[in-house]
Amino acid sequence: MASRTRSTWPIYPAVALLVVITMFPFLWMLISSFKQLSELYTVPPTWIPVAPSWTNYLNVLFESNVPRYFLNSVIISAGSTAIALALAILASYGFARFKFRGRTAAVALIIVGQLLPTAAIIVPLYVVLNWLGLLNTYLGLILAYLILTLPLSVFMLISYFRGIPVELEEAAIVDGASRLGVLLRITLPLSMPGVVAVIVYAFVTTWNEFIFALCFALDSSTKTLPIGLAEFTTEFNTDWGAVMAASVVMTVPIAILFLAMQRLFVGGLTAGGTKG
Amino acid sequence: MRVSKRFVGPLFVLPALFVLAMLVFYPLVYTFVLSVTDPAGNYVGLENFRTMLDQRLTSRTLQNTFVYVGFSIVFQIILGTAVGILLNAKFWGRSGIRALIVVPWVIPGIVAATTWGWMFHTEFGIINYMAQSAGVIDAPVGWLTNPSTVMPALITVNVWKMFPFVAIMVLAGLQAIPEDLYEAARIDGAKLHHEIYFITLRHLRPVLASLTLLLAIWGLNAITIIYAMTRGGPANRSIILPIQIFRQAFEFFQFNQAAALSVMFLLITGVLMVIYVTVFAEKE
Repeated sequence: MASRTRSTWPIYPAVALLVVITMFPFLWMLISSFKQLSELYTVPPTWIPVAPSWTNYLNVLFESNVPRYFLNSVIISAGSTAIALALAILASYGFARFKFRGRTAAVALIIVGQLLPTAAIIVPLYVVLNWLGLLNTYLGLILAYLILTLPLSVFMLISYFRGIPVELEEAAIVDGASRLGVLLRITLPLSMPGVVAVIVYAFVTTWNEFIFALCFALDSSTKTLPIGLAEFTTEFNTDWGAVMAASVVMTVPIAILFLAMQRLFVGGLTAGGTKG
Repeated sequence: MRVSKRFVGPLFVLPALFVLAMLVFYPLVYTFVLSVTDPAGNYVGLENFRTMLDQRLTSRTLQNTFVYVGFSIVFQIILGTAVGILLNAKFWGRSGIRALIVVPWVIPGIVAATTWGWMFHTEFGIINYMAQSAGVIDAPVGWLTNPSTVMPALITVNVWKMFPFVAIMVLAGLQAIPEDLYEAARIDGAKLHHEIYFITLRHLRPVLASLTLLLAIWGLNAITIIYAMTRGGPANRSIILPIQIFRQAFEFFQFNQAAALSVMFLLITGVLMVIYVTVFAEKE
């Protein structure tokens, strides 16, 4: 007789292998970040630091531009996330609740915006930002990052708004509320999980972004953390200890934020992804 | 004042569309203009395209781009699907593992690049040490400096970074498959590989098709890992199209030729985007 469930195949070894593959680089990053240069440059490498030290972290936090880059990253990510959220809430509501001429074309344009390879527009974007005097400014990067965050935010929120019963809104409209009032007082409060997913998604995307920052941020007044990490590597010499410590510093906040929010984030993303 | 009903929907949508148009469509049009003019703004026809296509580097770049994106997608899809299926099985600690494996995907690309760069280090890298201890290689391999290993090494990093995304999407697709299909198959005596082939993969086909296109578009766009690990070297063995655009523009300051490259790049991705939009926007 065939059994109804299957438990015979080796799940646990496969899971263990999976965890090793995904986590080993982080483990090695952490171990290396506590080693001093002489120990990093030894063969064979040691699995546990012989003389663990905070030197690399102190270097990164107090003797480099990292704190300033951290501040720049926070301002740029927060600014871009806030603008993307405001625009996406309005647009998604329009798409989710109204039929109008040109709607399909508008959706197609947003999909193009989402899929467009950013590398293809760095050159004209550089020229345009230069012309507007926005090169090497917070506002310039904040605007550029909207290209990355706005389209997917719109799709994530469309699918969320669709899940909220129209009847709730109709009652309020009968009572004389405006459409904007309905959105802000009824639909939006019910969509908080979707809004949080959009915030996390937009923040993480802009926090991680590299190539726009590389092209449009010219000095330490606007450079972001990913650029700071790349700057530890020069053509002739790389301070691997500092690089690993800076990598840990950059990974930890994102990992914590993500793990705390992961249920929402993954749920919102798969909803947006399969719809988009 | 009340707005005519007809215009309410478009009014909500307009601000976002306006911003996207300014940030995306204006630069797009401008790319085409730049690609057919010289630095003084004079129309030069296809001169910039001819200059770029005459360079031997460009054909090397195109070849590298297809190798990098193609092999990355194959392994991302295979590994991601396998992991998605694995994580759909019931086992102890499942939700924790599901969260954990997504971490490579959420961390900054630059962190993945530098960490793997250190692991691939020729003299002091852990990968050479472990491979030598295991007897796989006799002498340290210069993974990122040897022309024949640089691409496989970079593809490995790209696959490691992106397979969790595939796994999560596949997992979402799997959860939409009714459990009774499997039960019915088991009662009929189906083997595990029958189940995976006839039920799981059949149902996953639309998800995998959409993922393949997404991965192709993102892969074409992925500068960070290669730029940070090799800058396109050694001897241009790992240079891909977006990196050549970047170098042409910001290292050689030839914006018009960079724009010509961008237009070629857009044509390649444009084909993929048209397929994606026509196939998947229908459902929207």
